[in-house]
Amino acid sequence: MLAKLCKKAFPKSLWVYHCNSGACNGCDIEILNVLTPYYDVERFGIKLVASPRHADVMLLSGAVTRPTLPLVKKAYDAMPSPKLVFGIGSCATGGGSWFDCYNVTGGGDKAIPVNYYIPGCPPRPEAIIYGVALALGLVDKKVAPVELKQMEFPIDAYERNRAWENRNVIYKLLDD
Amino acid sequence: MKAAENISKKLKDRFGASVVKTESPYDSRLFVEIKKEAVKEISNELIALGARYLVGVGYDSIKRDGNLGMVHTFSFDRDDLFVCIKMAAPADSPVFDSITPDIPNAGWSEREYMDLLGMKFTGHPKPKRLILADDWPEGIYPLRKEVPHNLMPPAAEDVAYQLDEAPEGTTTVPIGPFHTCLHEPAHFAVYVDGETIKGCDYRGFMTHRGIEKLCTTEVSYNEVPFIAERICGICGSVHATSYSQAVELAAGLKISRRAEFIRTIMLEIERLHSHLLWLGVAGHLIGFDTVFMQAWRIRERIMWLAERITGNRKTYGMIVIGGVRRDLTPENIQELLDVLKKVEEEMLVVQKAIIGDTAIHKRTRGVGCITKEEAVKWSLVGPVARARGVDIDTRRDHPYAAYDEMKFDVPVFDSCDVWATVLVRIVETFEAIKIIRQAVDKMPAGPVMTEFDEAVKPLVHSISAVEAPRGEVVHYVITGEDNRADRWRVRAPTYPNLQGVPMMLLNDQFADFPIILGSIDPCFSCTDRVEVVDVRSGRVSVVGRNELEELSRKKNTGVN
Repeated sequence: MLAKLCKKAFPKSLWVYHCNSGACNGCDIEILNVLTPYYDVERFGIKLVASPRHADVMLLSGAVTRPTLPLVKKAYDAMPSPKLVFGIGSCATGGGSWFDCYNVTGGGDKAIPVNYYIPGCPPRPEAIIYGVALALGLVDKKVAPVELKQMEFPIDAYERNRAWENRNVIYKLLDD
Repeated sequence: MKAAENISKKLKDRFGASVVKTESPYDSRLFVEIKKEAVKEISNELIALGARYLVGVGYDSIKRDGNLGMVHTFSFDRDDLFVCIKMAAPADSPVFDSITPDIPNAGWSEREYMDLLGMKFTGHPKPKRLILADDWPEGIYPLRKEVPHNLMPPAAEDVAYQLDEAPEGTTTVPIGPFHTCLHEPAHFAVYVDGETIKGCDYRGFMTHRGIEKLCTTEVSYNEVPFIAERICGICGSVHATSYSQAVELAAGLKISRRAEFIRTIMLEIERLHSHLLWLGVAGHLIGFDTVFMQAWRIRERIMWLAERITGNRKTYGMIVIGGVRRDLTPENIQELLDVLKKVEEEMLVVQKAIIGDTAIHKRTRGVGCITKEEAVKWSLVGPVARARGVDIDTRRDHPYAAYDEMKFDVPVFDSCDVWATVLVRIVETFEAIKIIRQAVDKMPAGPVMTEFDEAVKPLVHSISAVEAPRGEVVHYVITGEDNRADRWRVRAPTYPNLQGVPMMLLNDQFADFPIILGSIDPCFSCTDRVEVVDVRSGRVSVVGRNELEELSRKKNTGVN
């Protein structure tokens, strides 16, 4: 539903503001990397801007540290609505390996509402592009929802044998 | 006579009873225990003998003997020797003499331990908070052992940054914490007279995540290399290598030669990608985006190569204590050589374009000048120092991994400006290619991991340095019990270099601020790893005075 809403809310080019709230530079560089010739997000109309005032989307990278917490909030408030927030990397997703350290408040959701997470340490440029494109409805989701069903134990031997037989029949047909 | 014996004899002759004990577990390491009263004379003597200041390491041994310890580390680059002078003071009055008036680079190290361990340094010229927030309660020192790693004192409101007074007749231009020319949060107050910079103060340490505390309380020896890689996303292997070497030295573990060669190759691959990255960012900072795009296009091949070899584009996870995790296969090596050939070809084109480009010359020549003497005095490191005619390179001066077998040149330029740093980095990319080719040729067969079963002896001090793309990384490890280090200190190259930035900025144009700051290739996440900063409320009052452009714009429009 959010994807449909995104299509409606952001019909034109996306302007992206990159906010480093205490990252190790890994994610930041991958974000910059998507601008460069091999990945070239400008072909989707995505452009990195310097000010949150100009931006539709905030890419948040890094665990939110104590000193940057109010700053991230302010940058978020400065963005005009409608706006989207992407948490890029493991730290922005859940705080990373230092999630409970004395100077870290946690993941991006501790500061501002995060709409999409792109995990990875750091996420590949392809993953970042795919995540943003997915949110905008430019691509379809590659993974279908999986419904798991609990089997009853013990699994019926008869049923298993029949399944084998069925499969073998198919193989025979293929051979013919 | 060995250099270590020589120095230790000189110190003993000169200072007699002040030198309590000297110890040299390896030829290249000398630990001197001194009485704390003599620290000033001894450190001045070491500097006079030609040493370079590295970093101060404070540690807590209250549980053992009721003392707080302080170690000042020095490097003799020509003799391949690290000298560490250790001293201690009782925890109830941890007062030391400050060595900052004579060795300005020690300023931050000392301020760090005023905040983190509650030490006092008499005679420090700027005893302000550096690391802890301005509203962090007095009397809580997070690096002391009794403080848990996840302690979070509540923050106060309306506490301002403690910045220097602006010099007479100047205007303050605040830059950051979020600003286009900074890729990481940090705050600079730049004092300008018209367009000319007359001074600068820095309030950073915002990306501090408490890694050193975390790794000495929660994490064991073997896990730290992976966290060390995440100190910095660009030069991760450097930190992992340096930490592993320090622990291996402390444990007396000799790793296999093949592992050392693979480490060398990984470090040089990292240098290649980091220098190309810097070249691109520098082009971007002076508004020359073509350089940015081209440099990063070339760099992309190296990223793919790294992924092929290690499984990840960055934070390789290759280097662990005892060796490396993956071997290089013949296919990897073939691909490595192919990529190097391609990168070399393309770099030659870029080099030609940059060296002949008048726009880059105009933006970088004569900008950010400091003299060689100043660079030595402030112990600047890496390309920043080499661009000022200081001939230091840890790979050559303190050979580690397989660098003792490699033949390479250390580019040194003496035009002392930003242009020279560009040249140093371009030449170094070619040197890195040369080193990788040699390493591939000479690499011996053998295992890549050396098992080590014994427990590491506690309370062994160990120091290791590695040349990162940005300069020299120093790791100091004090081994401990429970299979984890008692104290681990990381000094990233930006730590000394950033202290020299105010000097480089002096009397330059304000418009050159981004490229001068960029010329040291700042990496705040490395620098900030231990520091605790809390400026959450400092923010408010700073906005009240003058704040970076975007935020004042925000304020004016009433969004808050």
